[in-house]
Amino acid sequence: MNEVTIVGLLVDVIAFGVLLYLAALGELVAEKAGVLNLGVEGMMAIGGVAAFWSGVQFGSPLVGLIVAGIAAGLLALVHALVAVVLGADQVVSGLALTIFGLGLSAFLGKEYVSLPPVEQFGTLPLGSLRELRIIGPILFDQPWVAWLAAALGFLTWFVLERTRVGLGLRAVGENAATADAAGQSVTVTRVAAVVVGGVLAGFSGAFLVLNLAKGWTEGVTAGRGWIAVALVIFGAWRPGRTAIGALLFGGLLALEPRLQTFGVEVSPILVSMLPYAITIGVLVVFSIQSRHRPSAAPAAIGRAYRREER
Amino acid sequence: MFGLSLAKRDEPLWGGQTRSVLTGVLIALVLGALLLWLNGNDPVEVYLKMAESAFGSKRAISNTLTRAVPLGLAGLAVAVAGSMGLWNIGAEGQIIAGAIAGAWVARVLPDAGGAVLIPLMLIGAVVGGGLLALLPAVARARLGVNEIITTLMLNEIILRVVRYLVNGAWKDPLSLGFPQAPALPAQAALPGLFERSNIGLLIAAAVLAAFGVYSARSKWGYELRLAGSSEKTAQYAGISLKRKIVTVLTLSGAIAGLAGGIELTGSSNRLVEGVANGWGFAGIIVAALALMRPSGVAAVAVAFGAVQVGGLAIQTTGVPSSIASILQALILFGALAAGVFSQYRLVRANSTSMAVASV
Repeated sequence: MNEVTIVGLLVDVIAFGVLLYLAALGELVAEKAGVLNLGVEGMMAIGGVAAFWSGVQFGSPLVGLIVAGIAAGLLALVHALVAVVLGADQVVSGLALTIFGLGLSAFLGKEYVSLPPVEQFGTLPLGSLRELRIIGPILFDQPWVAWLAAALGFLTWFVLERTRVGLGLRAVGENAATADAAGQSVTVTRVAAVVVGGVLAGFSGAFLVLNLAKGWTEGVTAGRGWIAVALVIFGAWRPGRTAIGALLFGGLLALEPRLQTFGVEVSPILVSMLPYAITIGVLVVFSIQSRHRPSAAPAAIGRAYRREER
Repeated sequence: MFGLSLAKRDEPLWGGQTRSVLTGVLIALVLGALLLWLNGNDPVEVYLKMAESAFGSKRAISNTLTRAVPLGLAGLAVAVAGSMGLWNIGAEGQIIAGAIAGAWVARVLPDAGGAVLIPLMLIGAVVGGGLLALLPAVARARLGVNEIITTLMLNEIILRVVRYLVNGAWKDPLSLGFPQAPALPAQAALPGLFERSNIGLLIAAAVLAAFGVYSARSKWGYELRLAGSSEKTAQYAGISLKRKIVTVLTLSGAIAGLAGGIELTGSSNRLVEGVANGWGFAGIIVAALALMRPSGVAAVAVAFGAVQVGGLAIQTTGVPSSIASILQALILFGALAAGVFSQYRLVRANSTSMAVASV
């Protein structure tokens, strides 16, 4: 193993980490407001196909990111309407959203399959920083979406922990009736959180299709949306811990195709199970701990709120 | 929002869930038609062709029923757990586990006669699916670990197990690089009934009917629903929740495993990565539409089988088969919405304060 391969690996660790972090951050916001959205996989797929369409039409990755965010945000609105406004079951609605999103993206993207890549997200003009040895390529030569993801992670932490908006959102996710009594609109807060979650999943899908997969194919998300759902649990619903988890799980994704070149005699397929297996392990540990201290999960998650039934 | 809110109706609307599902179908057909029209297709023509290929001939009906088998069993698996208020999101993985276990039996006993081999493969499939559900079941019962996430994660894990097998240890040396296990021995194929249908259809129908009758009539089924509606009441009634959680979730996995076994011996004829084909996820929608009732599961499974067969058939006319997934999801969204509106009505927000005050 030489410097070039290690640097190449770490560049990918960050790239895959960013991919997972954007989607997980969105899920975190929705879950903090008390809404489980199992539609991440579908929202990423819609974001991906929207970004590719936009790339073909306009050629601008920035426009692609915005279009992907809008498309996935609109898809999330379906979940918000069904599971929040109408109060139907969140699990069923979210899974249907995944099936719907995967189906619709395949339908809309059928002419884009195996087209050549469109313009990617570029790097920031950081000049000589990018030429630094090792940390240059790993940190400063990353596409600007990586910086955006870091900024959004910080912003999410700040809003959730340090602002009234965040306090209201967390209150809705912990105890909707109390938040309602305190004048916080449960419906508006939850709908907004779900849509923000969708927009972020769309960003993730755009980054996946433009920079990592470098093209659109049906099923391009390949289970990454489920990893994002897992990451929120791994990160104990905290943006900082989720970022660490994203780098860890992103590291596993980056390692997969490289194992053989590193001379490791383990099948990459088996390594690809690890994020899911680790998440089960973490859940078990959390559950054992929660006997002695309060659970990290938002207390009202998964429960619809109807004022007259409180 | 918008000055409107939902208030509970004194009486639910007539027709119950059947009405909600039919409303969902209508909504899905209208929205699907819009999508097809935007795509440049004639929606009526597409729908007619879908219906014809799903019901238009003996062969068409056989195709529809063949797909209804895994959909119905996966739906039943989800429904059995769901009637106790548990979510088995892992039917997709349990179907795979069942197929792996069934294929393993055939590998171990390649020379056994069909009368021995087929039952053993199906039993293996039931055990395989049940074992995969055992971990989430025990974790939920003993430690309170959320079964939604564990079953979801196990889907992805077992998917990689089958990928590993068909790309490696179990790969067919004659498959020219295509990732699949060798074909099963000839005597391992389920006996046929008509056209493409085989006795898997009868097995699935029998399992659904048995559960329908048993859960409606037995103490076991009553306790299940009691535990689903109120944990506390169930505990007062002396029902051991922990044991019930383990048996119900394991049973749920076993039923999904059976679907994998039937799929293996009846249709795919060899272990492939895509053996579950999304049926486990579709089964969740089927169960939700059926409100976790076995009789409803059978009806919805046939309808979804028809949509899927129709989706495959119109591919030849240039319409992507993904229209089938889109329609299935839209039926669910429409039915969920209609279900809410059969219990609630829209009122101006200020009048709900009266409702709240009167509670």
